[in-house]
Amino acid sequence: MNMEGKMRVALTGNPNSGKTTLFNAITGRIEHVGNWAGVTVEKKEGDIKKNLNKTNVEITAVDLPGAYSMSPFTSEESITSGFVKNENPDVIINIVDATNLSRSLFFTTQLLELDIPVVVALNKSDLTKKKKTAIDVSKLSKSLGCPVVETVSTKGNNNGLEKLISKVVEVKDKAQTAPFDSKGVNMSDKNSVEAYDKKRYDFVKGIVSKVEAREVSSNTQTKQDAADRVLAHKWLGIPIFAVIMWAVFSISQTHLGPLLADTLVGWIDLFYGWVEGLLGEGTSPVLSSILLDGIIGGVGAVVGFLPLIMVLFFLLALLEDCGYMARVAVVMDRFFKRVGLSGKSIIPMVIGTGCAIPGVMATRTIKNERQRRTTAMLTPFMPCGAKLPVIALFAGAFFNDSAWVGTTMYFVGIAIIILGALVVVRITGEKHARSFFIMELPEYKFPSVKRATISMFSRAKAFIIKAGTIILLCNAAVQIMQTFNWQFQVVAEGAENTSILASIASPFAVLLIPLGFGVWQLAAAAITGFIAKENVVGTLAVVYGITNFIDTEELALVSDGANVASIMGLTSVAALAYLMFNLFTPPCFAAIGAMNSEMEDKKWLWGGIAFQFGMGYAVAFITYQVGTLLTTGAFGAGFLPGLIVVAAMIAYVVYLIKKGNEKAERKLALSV
Amino acid sequence: MENIMSNKSMTGALNKTEGLGGLMKNLAQGRINTEYTIKDIDTNDEELKNFLFTLGCYEGELITVISVLAENFVINVKDARYSIDKDLAKAIII
Repeated sequence: MNMEGKMRVALTGNPNSGKTTLFNAITGRIEHVGNWAGVTVEKKEGDIKKNLNKTNVEITAVDLPGAYSMSPFTSEESITSGFVKNENPDVIINIVDATNLSRSLFFTTQLLELDIPVVVALNKSDLTKKKKTAIDVSKLSKSLGCPVVETVSTKGNNNGLEKLISKVVEVKDKAQTAPFDSKGVNMSDKNSVEAYDKKRYDFVKGIVSKVEAREVSSNTQTKQDAADRVLAHKWLGIPIFAVIMWAVFSISQTHLGPLLADTLVGWIDLFYGWVEGLLGEGTSPVLSSILLDGIIGGVGAVVGFLPLIMVLFFLLALLEDCGYMARVAVVMDRFFKRVGLSGKSIIPMVIGTGCAIPGVMATRTIKNERQRRTTAMLTPFMPCGAKLPVIALFAGAFFNDSAWVGTTMYFVGIAIIILGALVVVRITGEKHARSFFIMELPEYKFPSVKRATISMFSRAKAFIIKAGTIILLCNAAVQIMQTFNWQFQVVAEGAENTSILASIASPFAVLLIPLGFGVWQLAAAAITGFIAKENVVGTLAVVYGITNFIDTEELALVSDGANVASIMGLTSVAALAYLMFNLFTPPCFAAIGAMNSEMEDKKWLWGGIAFQFGMGYAVAFITYQVGTLLTTGAFGAGFLPGLIVVAAMIAYVVYLIKKGNEKAERKLALSV
Repeated sequence: MENIMSNKSMTGALNKTEGLGGLMKNLAQGRINTEYTIKDIDTNDEELKNFLFTLGCYEGELITVISVLAENFVINVKDARYSIDKDLAKAIII
């Protein structure tokens, strides 16, 4: 056991029973929650708040991913039992969904066999009344041989949590007798375990029939079912989803977001002027340019977009909380199956519109390995929050703030995902493979504004930290690298090509000539984009000396767009190609890290990155060359070399597909 | 949860049910709002079978189809709602 004066408590229970909500409530942490099964994918730790814990003993709570059972023949369950045993907790809190005793108590009886004191938190106990179900708590406690406390972890007070914690302290080191134990059962023999688990279910049924009185049987039709029939309707499902997502993006990116952004940029402007005045005439021009243009200008250009991202995260949190996401998975399953994915693949993609990292992590609920890896590889194609500034900059500078630019980027992202999924399922030779879809449908609930606000501010905090560290450093570095040459002399006006930055970025710029933007400034911005996508905007601000993209006077994200466009010297077609290149090449390093941990396979990871590079290059090439042909009547610069590169990549993918097909045919032949 | 099954086992599963000529039917053929008793989970995929078991979906248990949404079936088992696809509904023999 643990050292004296410290206690460890493990939180376990079925998926979507509210473990993380309860964890957040007792620790004051702000871990990600959502209303579907399988949100928590890694254990989280936190100390229980002092106002709940009346003892001097420090209690650490460990939130574990949900599980339905601990039977030894299922993969997810063995992870859970490993978790519980390795954590060596003093007490287990078993969170039980009060509306679903007959399934949940199966796991409870298994936990009771671990010889660790258990306290049952009968969560969502506010819902039982609504469902006209009465539960005799004291009888339940007696039948299980452990304390049972009714909790409502979504409520701020009077939620039973104080009582829960006091019970936890009380039962520490106390022996409990398992009401149903498997001693004498041969755990390595599948049949005997199965037979025993059936008896366990019968035992649970016995308890439930004694303690639970349902006025309305759970299989009667409810309003929730009626809502499902509309929201997950064969034909209505997709349009409804499209309208909801459109509303999310239009509110965050064209209405409320920019309105707030204007105010913020006004402050940044004031700050810039204030620092400028403070520096005065005496400061060296190099230093003041690094400080003003490099740091305040570059970082400010990025921070100005913070409100857009905050509004986006607020709306996504509401969406995740209400129970709709599981229905979207049901609606999309039909279509995603055709391209070899699962309906569950849509959830990472929606989350990915906020940030690709939690999006990629959400793929863990997909059990099928190929589907999970493919989803992790394709999720970053959804334009994320960090890419919004890039989209907004180009829409504003080159396309007169047209809304179609942003919308088109999402559609191109979706098209690439579909194409990518089709390619991957063929390369892996699993074209004929079938998969099952099963998803628990959680209750709809009114989304918590408080939770969405918390999620929004925690995101804002992360964004500001990122802007103040990584992006600031990158911008300062870019500014220094373009100010000096390799002899550490300040580059002369008109000789910008001799700067350190120019000489590093120029070789890459050559590769980009067929895409229409083969200049070192744009290459440098694309490269810093891999550190964080916001850097593209920051670096462009620095290398072109544009201090402020966002206009404070008009309601426009980019001021003086024509001016910005002429400084960059790109045609609209080349600008669109550059935008797409930045959106559809590999995501930032942090997201690649998330891909790595979800794919668990180096071949997949490198294959995925190569695919993302190839896709970004090909999309930009086609956009630029076809666009140039249409607008000027002739292909753009570097058409032939670019064509050779793109054709070679396509030929290689076709070769891989052919190989995959042979594999699929062989598999089919073997199985017939 | 999804699991890959080879084509062979799928066709095998279908032939078996059809061969018994209506005596046995699967959930995909069931009516809405009718409580059925599960007779068998007909799949070679052990992991799927185990997973369904942990949800309380195994022979002898009661199951109700709440709605059919396109190619998905909303079912009620042990007081919980799940959405399953048609292939899985076909594997549940009632």
